[in-house]
Amino acid sequence: MLFVMPYLCLFILMLIVPLAMGIRLSFTRGDLFGIKEFVGLENYARLLADPVFLRTVWNTVYFVILTVPSLTIAGLLLALALNRETRWAAIMRGIFFASFVLSVTVVTLIWRLVLIPNGGLAGVIAKAFGAEPISFLGDQNWAMLSIAMTTIWWGIGLPMVLFLAALQQVPRDLYEAAALDNASRSRMLFAITLPAISRTIALVLVIEIILQFQLFGQPQLMTSGGPNNSTRPIVLFIYESGWSQWQLGYASAAAQILFALIAMVAMVQYRISSRKESR
Amino acid sequence: MPAISSRRFFYVQVVVVTLAAGLMLVPLLWVLILSLKDSAALMSDTASAFSPPYTLENYANIIGGQQVSTWLLNSTIVSLAMTAGVLLLSSLAGYGFSRLEFPGRDALFVIVLLGLAIPEQAVIIGRHQLFSAISMHNSYTALVVPGLSMPFGVFLMTQYFRAIPLEIDEAARLDGASRFRIFWRILLPLTIPAQATLGIFTFFQAWNDYWWPLVSATNHDMLTLTVGIASTQVNFAQAEGLGFLMAQAVFAGAPMLLIYVIFQKYIVRAVAGAAGK
Amino acid sequence: MAGVEMACVSKRFGDVLVIDKVSLEVQAGEFIVFLGPSGCGKSTLLRMIAGLETVDDGTIHIGEQRVDTLPPGKRDVAMVFQHYALYPHMTIKENLAFGLKNRRVPASEISARVEAAASSLEIGDFLERRPGQLSGGQRQRAAIARAIVKQPSLFLFDEPLSNLDAALRARTRIELAQLHQQLGTTMIFVTHDQVEAMTLADRIVVLHDHRIEQIGTPMEIYRRPATKFVASFVGTPKINIVELTAAKNGAMTTAALPDGTALETCIPWNASFAETGTTLGLRPEAIRVVAQGEGTAAGRAKVVERLGERTLIYAELSDGTMLTTEDRGDSQVRPDDMIGLSIDSSNAVIFTNEGRAHHGTQVSN
Repeated sequence: MLFVMPYLCLFILMLIVPLAMGIRLSFTRGDLFGIKEFVGLENYARLLADPVFLRTVWNTVYFVILTVPSLTIAGLLLALALNRETRWAAIMRGIFFASFVLSVTVVTLIWRLVLIPNGGLAGVIAKAFGAEPISFLGDQNWAMLSIAMTTIWWGIGLPMVLFLAALQQVPRDLYEAAALDNASRSRMLFAITLPAISRTIALVLVIEIILQFQLFGQPQLMTSGGPNNSTRPIVLFIYESGWSQWQLGYASAAAQILFALIAMVAMVQYRISSRKESR
Repeated sequence: MPAISSRRFFYVQVVVVTLAAGLMLVPLLWVLILSLKDSAALMSDTASAFSPPYTLENYANIIGGQQVSTWLLNSTIVSLAMTAGVLLLSSLAGYGFSRLEFPGRDALFVIVLLGLAIPEQAVIIGRHQLFSAISMHNSYTALVVPGLSMPFGVFLMTQYFRAIPLEIDEAARLDGASRFRIFWRILLPLTIPAQATLGIFTFFQAWNDYWWPLVSATNHDMLTLTVGIASTQVNFAQAEGLGFLMAQAVFAGAPMLLIYVIFQKYIVRAVAGAAGK
Repeated sequence: MAGVEMACVSKRFGDVLVIDKVSLEVQAGEFIVFLGPSGCGKSTLLRMIAGLETVDDGTIHIGEQRVDTLPPGKRDVAMVFQHYALYPHMTIKENLAFGLKNRRVPASEISARVEAAASSLEIGDFLERRPGQLSGGQRQRAAIARAIVKQPSLFLFDEPLSNLDAALRARTRIELAQLHQQLGTTMIFVTHDQVEAMTLADRIVVLHDHRIEQIGTPMEIYRRPATKFVASFVGTPKINIVELTAAKNGAMTTAALPDGTALETCIPWNASFAETGTTLGLRPEAIRVVAQGEGTAAGRAKVVERLGERTLIYAELSDGTMLTTEDRGDSQVRPDDMIGLSIDSSNAVIFTNEGRAHHGTQVSN
């Protein structure tokens, strides 16, 4: 018990207490000075009627749709191509994972310098071909796509290494048996590899959904949620109502809604994880 | 399997993947050459980045300047402190959860595991209020302590301790070792691989953490490098010095990339382990 | 060197009784083997002596000292574990020294003892290596050496040979026997392998269903098993146990096999033999194969198993009862041959329907 105590104290103080405070706040009208008038579910009702908030929910979902399938499929393809013990594969794995270790601020800085129309790499290239540079981050149609692109560049390493880890668990003799059964390369992929890592595919999907649902830094730094709210996700909404407008109750309510959404996905993850044992 | 088509297939793969890897590197290289240019030259036309002259002046300015080195120091202190703290707390708790019998142990462990599912967004407002209430913002304590509550380390260490056979403890008990001596001399050294994994993972998390330091450290001298870089980006449009900005990006990114190159194996394992929980 | 005395020792895990009032006296210098199937409680019993399990009821003495309340490190015992339990991050030398350091033995004496143990177990060359760099056999030796350096008054072995391959197991078995002769220290050895038990033990303690089934020398256990369980657990190939119709023949008993063959035994008649469920135990070596038409019974060879020095023949009697029988190594019998069986009933055992064994009056060895 003595060994567990120090951590448990922090766990309660820094996780459980703030969580409880957040939930309590979500039922109050709090502001900078901490005035707490109990308002019941009013914050939640307001949120569900707030077009900006609903827009952020849609933006977040749209972003997840843009990134998660691409990340999963690209990660899987890379893992399949790089699951070998050659120097080349090792170097490639290193490159694809490298960007994942950068902080969000460095990543966005890099990509703004690529995407800005005046002097960005994209602009320089466009000019070289005599085309008009596109304002990727300033155009409603392009802004979210650009953020998704940045995110894929940043995060491709994660699904790749998860799939690589799974591929290494597939027993080699399965392939040997299939080769003796005269199976073609594509048949091996669909009849052996994919079923063997199906659990990981599901897991990667869930992990990525949870991760990308929490989109925050990229739009905050690259577009500030604009143009015209087109890139404002839920977390940015929480941040702004909390720390720009100091509507702490309102922000907390939005945070609880996000928590509920994530918890639902996490439940799916838990189901997948525990299925391993029953096998 | 038909050998010839398989070989051709392999070459196609090599070409495609290598090209994709090249594309991955383009933004990095772009930033790197920008950082080697005089800011004034970039003001007129960034295409000039493709041709000399190049200069290390931007880097010299960074190292000479107060700001970035303060942030770097903050980041280092915060990351190391958080890493040390997480390792200590997780090792103790992992040992406790795997080896000691006390009432409610398994229930407690499950509760801690459930904590894994709590996203930062759900607790950050409460934490902010908490530190406001005790006027602790803009301190190293505020930057480090919340990170220590992450359940992942406890989960990882508990799993690792559980994988060590009980026979080892029993042999040590028969050898007359005390409980603390068994923990310190026998079990803890056996968890070094997990410590390394967890340590590197935590260090990266701490270094790259953005939201919490953004709201907690408002004093310019208490910023971490990650938040500091963001604060200079706000003035981005004015381009107070594109080259300087880019040099900062390189400066902030390079240590992580370097650590990554050195500890690649551990980092990849840590990330895969953290996600697979 | 010390004896061990356990008096009415019990142990439960939750609601499950795993040791049920076991009493046992081990003489100083004895080599005792706890033999039984998995789950019989033999390991638990050993671990209670070591102090790794608490004792719920009863007392344990090692020598003159009551130990059941002492921590393991204070009981002056050394144990060799099933998976060796060497400390993976320490060299073999550090492994051997760890327990001595904990007891504050002077450094010079530690190195002398380590050297001595290493040379007697021929692991001197590996002292600077870690367990992971050693083969299974070498690890086994290191684990034994770690027990020896402590010079305990009692050695405990928890199935230490079960992870070795057959050849190494046989060799280590002999070495353990030699070690016991050399040191003369009391040893308690847990195994489910009856060959290990027979070859190593001064006395075997057969455990079954959380209690002691029988205590005896290897030959007592083999020849005069106390129960049907002991008889069938000890001996390879397994003892034949067949249905029997018993009849009083003066003071003795005549046993009729299911096919009608009548065997005169020297087992004193007991009224309980008349009950159904009574069985007869015959060791395979008591049933010799003879030419067809000779011997006491007749059967058909179903399977012929050649072991080299002898041949096992699985024979079917006319009513379908199967018997394991023995023939010479160069047996000419082939599957489906009709054979005669000569049954020596002097060592036959009758088991009552409760499984209690009744033996003949004259013991032939």
